Amino acid sequence: MLQGDFQLPKRNKRTVLVLGLLGVVGLVGLAATVAVGAFVLSAWLGLPLNAFGLNDGPDQPIAFPHTVHVQDMGMDCTFCHRAVTTEAAASVPAVGLCMSCHKVIGDGLPEIEKLRGYHESGRAIDWVRVHRVPDHVHFVHESHVRFFSERDNVPASETCQLCHQDVGSMPKVEQVRSLKMGDCLDCHRENEAPTDCTACHY
Amino acid sequence: MAGEKWGMVIDVDKCIGCQACVVACQAENNIPINTEDLYNQRRAVQWIRIERYWEGEFPDVKARFIPVLCQHCSDAPCEPVCPVFATYHNPEGLNVQVYNRCIGTRFCANNCPYHVRFFNFWEPSWPESLKNQLNPDVTVRSRGIMEKCTFCIQRIRRSTRDAKAEGRGVEDGARELNPACVNACPTDTLFFGDLNDPDSKVARMSAEETGEHGRGYHMLEELGTEPNVLYLKKVDKNAKEASHA
Repeated sequence: MLQGDFQLPKRNKRTVLVLGLLGVVGLVGLAATVAVGAFVLSAWLGLPLNAFGLNDGPDQPIAFPHTVHVQDMGMDCTFCHRAVTTEAAASVPAVGLCMSCHKVIGDGLPEIEKLRGYHESGRAIDWVRVHRVPDHVHFVHESHVRFFSERDNVPASETCQLCHQDVGSMPKVEQVRSLKMGDCLDCHRENEAPTDCTACHY
Repeated sequence: MAGEKWGMVIDVDKCIGCQACVVACQAENNIPINTEDLYNQRRAVQWIRIERYWEGEFPDVKARFIPVLCQHCSDAPCEPVCPVFATYHNPEGLNVQVYNRCIGTRFCANNCPYHVRFFNFWEPSWPESLKNQLNPDVTVRSRGIMEKCTFCIQRIRRSTRDAKAEGRGVEDGARELNPACVNACPTDTLFFGDLNDPDSKVARMSAEETGEHGRGYHMLEELGTEPNVLYLKKVDKNAKEASHA
């Protein structure tokens, strides 16, 4: 060996192990921070990152398949969500409306039996809400449905997908649009709807 | 929702101080119960209140009542002091409080000469029995938020929406348009409507009463806030004779 040659100082095995471990922990920490940051940022700006099932719809007490009712049976959205053309809330049907068909349809299917259980006990189904705007936002389905069905000259049930996308093809309902204020405002500006604060906030 | 200028006329001559408007407002707008404690702290919330004055000496004493609510000033002192634009004038002539913008500086309440802005010092709460009577059309204001009379904007919104759906205009003085206080008043003291519509009752009344012989006056007119609430002063026979003498 020549004099002045670069030489790595000899470390003992323990220091190498500790340093290696620290490095690994640091890398994992960095990755975790980035992941959390990305989740927070994406959720703040729009919807959570569409990964690891973060964006999937919640499990419902009854695994209600919109696919069967809309795609296979061809039912209209407004048949069950009756108040959507007249009220602020689209409304979820009462158990009695489900039972008008399921008294005779679907014998032996476990989810239908659950529904009949609800009907017999007289309880309401505690659906998990998927689309929710904050309390200080007053969204009215009626006026939006009316505007879009008049603008495009289509029946009310064809306006739903503008915000909810094709729920009929979703086995489990999930939120597709962010429904944040920027999202609302973009659409309001496009359609020359009022953008005054008190149009929604009061 | 364009072109309107909502305003109110209050005929003080008819007010009997029954406080029905106060109760109606409290119920309509999800205002928490004001306790004695809150009154003592000067933290009671009353979007509309009845101010009572005594005139004269016993036994020749008279009670005078003035309902006081947000005057929805056209040149509102509360608006320029808000650092976050949580209070501003909307195109319908309403002085608006945007709850989600408010950061609770309370500058607006300090700058309001009418004392009609209220700060939520506490998280609002209701007894269990009253929880189901909250109005779903009105936001429940959380702690740290300023609130005030909105002229029951939720009723304006709903009635204009319903009218539009049925392809008609909103009728002047319709019950579904009127604020809760106006509907509750048993003596027709309060009138509400569109000041920009020359045929509306409030526009006609303010045109008649603001002249030289009219009874109309604005509260604290000398401040130049240009309120949209017009008061009609009390008719007092004795006072008239006194002024003639």
